[in-house]
Amino acid sequence: MRRTRYRLRVAAVAAALTLMCALAGSVAGRVYHGQLLTLLVAGAALAAFAIGFLLRNRSAFLAPSASATGLAAYLLGAIALTSDGAEPLGATIADALVNAVPRTLTALIPVEPAPDTVIVPVFLTWLAATLACEFAIRYGRTLLGCLPPVLLYGAGLYLVGPNAAAGPLWAIVFCVLAAAALAVTAAPPERRPDRDAAVDGEAPSRAPALMGAVVTTVVLLAAVAVLGPAVARLVTASPGDPREYVEPPQLTDIDLNPLVRIAEWAKYPDQELFRADTSADAWLRLAVLTEYDGTTWQAAGDFRTAGTVIPGSGEATYSAEVEIIELGGKLVPAAADPAAVTDLPIAVNLYTRCLLTPDGLATGSTYHVDSALVTADRDAAANAGPDLSDATVVALPPGTPEIMATIADHVRSQYGTPYERAQGLADFLAAHYAFDPEAPSGHDLPALGFFLGTPVDLGGQRGTSEHFAASYAIIARLMGLPSRVAVGFDVPSGSSTVTAAQGMAWPEVAFDGVGWVRFDPLPAAGSVPTPPEDALEAMEEETPSADEESGGGGEAEDYNDDSLEQNGDFDAEPAEEDSGLPVWIWYAAAALALACVPLALKARRALRRRRRLARGSPAERVAGAWAEVLAASARAGVKVPAHANAEEAAARLAALESDIGPLPRLVNAAAFAPGAVSEADAELAATIAVGHSRAIRHHVSRWKRYLN
Amino acid sequence: MHDTEQTHPLHVPRRLQQPVQLGAPQAEQFAATFERLASAVDTVVLGKPEVVRLALTAMFAEGHILLEDVPGTGKTTMARSIAAAVSGQWRRIQFTPDLLPSDVSGVTIFNQSSGAFEFHPGPVFANIVIADEINRASPKTQSALLEVMEEGRVTVDGHPHQVPAPFLVVATQNPVEMDGTYRLPEAQLDRFLVKLSVGYPVEAAEVEVLRGTHQRSPEQLPPVVDTETVAQMAEMAKHVYIADPLYTYLVQLANATRNHPQVAVGVSPRGLIALTRAASVFALSQGRTYIIPEDVKALAGPVFAHRIQLAPDAAMRGAGAAAVVADAFEQVPVPLPASAA
Repeated sequence: MRRTRYRLRVAAVAAALTLMCALAGSVAGRVYHGQLLTLLVAGAALAAFAIGFLLRNRSAFLAPSASATGLAAYLLGAIALTSDGAEPLGATIADALVNAVPRTLTALIPVEPAPDTVIVPVFLTWLAATLACEFAIRYGRTLLGCLPPVLLYGAGLYLVGPNAAAGPLWAIVFCVLAAAALAVTAAPPERRPDRDAAVDGEAPSRAPALMGAVVTTVVLLAAVAVLGPAVARLVTASPGDPREYVEPPQLTDIDLNPLVRIAEWAKYPDQELFRADTSADAWLRLAVLTEYDGTTWQAAGDFRTAGTVIPGSGEATYSAEVEIIELGGKLVPAAADPAAVTDLPIAVNLYTRCLLTPDGLATGSTYHVDSALVTADRDAAANAGPDLSDATVVALPPGTPEIMATIADHVRSQYGTPYERAQGLADFLAAHYAFDPEAPSGHDLPALGFFLGTPVDLGGQRGTSEHFAASYAIIARLMGLPSRVAVGFDVPSGSSTVTAAQGMAWPEVAFDGVGWVRFDPLPAAGSVPTPPEDALEAMEEETPSADEESGGGGEAEDYNDDSLEQNGDFDAEPAEEDSGLPVWIWYAAAALALACVPLALKARRALRRRRRLARGSPAERVAGAWAEVLAASARAGVKVPAHANAEEAAARLAALESDIGPLPRLVNAAAFAPGAVSEADAELAATIAVGHSRAIRHHVSRWKRYLN
Repeated sequence: MHDTEQTHPLHVPRRLQQPVQLGAPQAEQFAATFERLASAVDTVVLGKPEVVRLALTAMFAEGHILLEDVPGTGKTTMARSIAAAVSGQWRRIQFTPDLLPSDVSGVTIFNQSSGAFEFHPGPVFANIVIADEINRASPKTQSALLEVMEEGRVTVDGHPHQVPAPFLVVATQNPVEMDGTYRLPEAQLDRFLVKLSVGYPVEAAEVEVLRGTHQRSPEQLPPVVDTETVAQMAEMAKHVYIADPLYTYLVQLANATRNHPQVAVGVSPRGLIALTRAASVFALSQGRTYIIPEDVKALAGPVFAHRIQLAPDAAMRGAGAAAVVADAFEQVPVPLPASAA
C-alpha cells in the first residue's frame, strides 16, 4: 500500500513537471506562427522527461547520455519537419545551429517555425525537462525540480516581451501544477525537517522569532512604500524586449535605391520584368524612399526577417501571384499593405512596409502575396493638415536650389490648404515640365536644379519619373508637406506581363488622419509643357509678403531644427517630467538599500544575541546562551533535532570541536530547577556561548556569516 | 522453598535518618548511599553496573523488578545480592507449576489449643521477596501476587494482612525455556516498575568470573542499609522537584506510544507514574533534587517497554517495544528553557 502510494506520488510529480515544462516551453509559441512550435516543445518536454523517468534508477551518468542522444534525434526531427527542403538537410542543420539564436531574436513576429527559429525553444525545453526530472525524480528534490520550468517560463516571457497578449490563465495553471507537485511530496507535519530547525532559537520561545518576522515585514513594507514609487517610475509599462538589444542584419545594397533604375526602365520600356496575376488594379511598390541627403534617396528603417505572415496588416483584400522574369535585385514588388507572402523568404521594412528577399530575385522564382489594399481618402485629405509626426519626412539637406524655393513659394501663393498645395505642385510640374525617357539619370540636388531651372533649349525641364518624383518631394517639403518617393509598377487586374514601361517613381504626401496620398506630377501623354519661367516671373512681380522676405528655403530648414521637435511639432513623446531628484539617486538608494541588507541582518543578529545573553533572569540568560549555541551550530551545519535533550545536543555539537563545558548542566538547571542558576552561572553561560560562536566560525560558510 | 531471614548491623548516615528535608546536601547523601549500595552489589554481580543501578532505582521508587534473561546470566544472583545488601527480611520463592496461591500468601488454620483460626503468613510477608522463575507457576498462583504488589497487603479469608514496609518483589523469568511456563498476564506485568535484562557480561568481567579471584557469593555480602533507611530514601524521592514542562513531556511520550501505528496498547497511566517515580530516584542518585529529560530517557526503556503491547502484525514482523519507545522520543520535542529574547 505504501509502495503504491509512493509510486502514485512519483507519477503525479512527473506528470506535473512534464506539463510545467511543456507549458513553459509553449510560452514562446505566442510569438510564433501557427501551433507547430507549441507541439514541438510539448513533445520535447514529454520525451525528455520520459527518458529521465525511465532511467531514474540507473546510473547517474546514463541519463544525461541518453538525454543528449534523444535531444539530438529530436532536434534532427524538428529541423526536418520545419525545413522547406530548398537546401540539403546537412546545410540546413549547420546553418540552423550557427544562426539559431540571432535569427530567433531578429525574426519578425509572428516568427515562422523554421529550423533556425525552433532550435532554441526546443533545446531549452528539453534541457529544462531533463533537469527537472533529475532533480525531482532521481534526487527527490521537488522544489529544486520546479526551478528549471520556472526559469524556462521566465525566459519564455522575456522572449515574448510585449509582442503578445498576456496569458494569466496559463500562468495560474503553471502555478497550480507547481503547487500540486510540491503538495503530493510534502512530508507530514511530524516528519518535516524544519521541526529540527525549530530548536534554532525558536524552541525557547516563538515570540522573538514572531517579533523578528513582524519587524522584518514592517521594514520591507516601509522600504517598498518609500522606494516603490521611484522604482515603479523606472519601469516601463511594457515588458522588456530582447530584440531591442539585438542589431538586425543590415541589408545595405544599392538595390535599396531603385530610383537609379528608372532611367534604365524608361530607356528600355519593353523589357519584361515579371509576370503578375492579380485580383485588382494596384500599384505594386518596390521601395519607398523617405530620407534624402542631397545626393540619394534612401529608405529609413531596417529590414527584419519575417515568416509568411507580415505583422501589422489588416485583412487581406488583394492577392497577386508573381513570377520573376528580369526584374532582378532583392526588393520584392508587392501592393501596400502586404499581409502574407508565401514561397519566398521575406524580410520586411517595418517603417515603409516594403519587402525584400535576402537571396535576391532570380528568373523563374515565384511567390504569392496577399495585401490589405490601402486606398487614401482624398476627400478627407482635402480638409486635413499635414501629418508632421515624423520629422524624417520633412527634413531637407542644406543647399536646395533656388528654383525649388521659387516654385514652392509660387504654389503656396496660389493655393491655401495643404492638399491643394500638394495637388497644385503636381499640376505645376505636369504643366511646365516634359517627360523624356532619354533624360540623364540623377536625383542629387544639382541634377534636380538642372531639371527644374535650366531652360529647355539647354536640355533642362525634361526628365523621367525619377526627376519628377524627387523634385516634387523636395519642393513639398519646402512647403512644409511631409513627402516621400515610391518606386513601383502600375499593374492591372488579371494576368499580365509587367514591363519596364510600367515602372515609375511617384511622390506621396502624408496627411493627418488620412495617411500617405499618391500624387502624379508627370505630364499627360501628348501634352505640351509651357515654360515655368512665365508663371514664376508673374509671381515675382507681386509685392513680396513678410513671409517671403524670410527666404524660400528658410521655412523648410526649420524642420531640420531639433527645437521643432521639442516644441511638439512632430508629436514627439513628451519630455520626461522633472521629478525633482535625478534617476541615479534612486538607483543609488536602491543599491544602498540592498547593500545594507547584510548589515541589517548582522545588526539584527547582534541585537538578538545581546537580548539573549544580557536580558532577563539568570535562568533566561542561560536559556538564551543555549539558543545562541544552537543557532551558531546550525549555521555551522550541525542542527540539533527538537527531540534531543541537552546532553544529546552537546554530543552532537562535539562534531564542531568546540567545548561547551558545563552549559548542558546549566541549561537543565535553568529549565527544570527553580532558582538553581546564579548570576555567575549566567555569565559563564554567556561566555561559553560567545566562545562557541567564535570557535566554530571557520565552519560557517561566508555567505551565511553575512546573510544569517 | 523459603530462605532464612537475615539481619545485619546498619551502616546508614545519621542525616538520612532524620525527617525528610530535600536539598543539595540531602541529595548528595542520597547519591553517596545509593552508590555505596550499588558498589556492594557490583562486587557480586560483575560487569553490570547499569543494570544494578536500575534495579536499585526501582527499589527506592517502591517498585518491583522483573529480571528476564536466559539461564545463567546472574538474575537470581543479582536478586539475592540486592536482598543481602539491604538489612531486612527477605525471602525467596521458587515458583513451580504445583505452587499454590496459599504457598505464597499464607493460610488460615484452626488452632485447636486456642480454639480459633490463626493466620500463618506466607513467604510474601518480607521486605524483599525473590520470586524465582515466576512464569513457571500457574496463573492462579501468579495472581496471588497482584494485590500485594500493588497495595502492599494480602487478603486471606476476607481479612487484609499488611506486609512490612518497604516491600519489594524481585522476580526472575526465563524467556527461552517456554515449556511448562505461563506467560505473565498484562495486569501483572504492569505492576513491575521495571523489567531488566541482565545480559551476558562483558569479556573482561567474564574472565574475572572464571578466574574467581574476586568472586563473592550474595551470602558474603554485608548489608549496607536497612529497610528503614530504604523507606526513608524512598520518601525523599517523593520530594524531588518536577517542572511543569516535564509533566507535559511525560504525557506526550505516553501518548506517542499509544498512538504509535505498531502498538495495540500503549503505556498506561500507572506506567507513567512509575516512570516519574523512577526518574525522581534516578535524579537523586545523580545528586540532583530535580528531574531533567535525561533522567526520563534513561529510564523510559526499562519502565515502558514491558507495558507496551504490540499489534499482532507488528509483532509478527519482528517489531520491538524498545523501537516503539525510541520512536516516541523522536516524536516529542524536549522542553527547553525560554530565553528573554
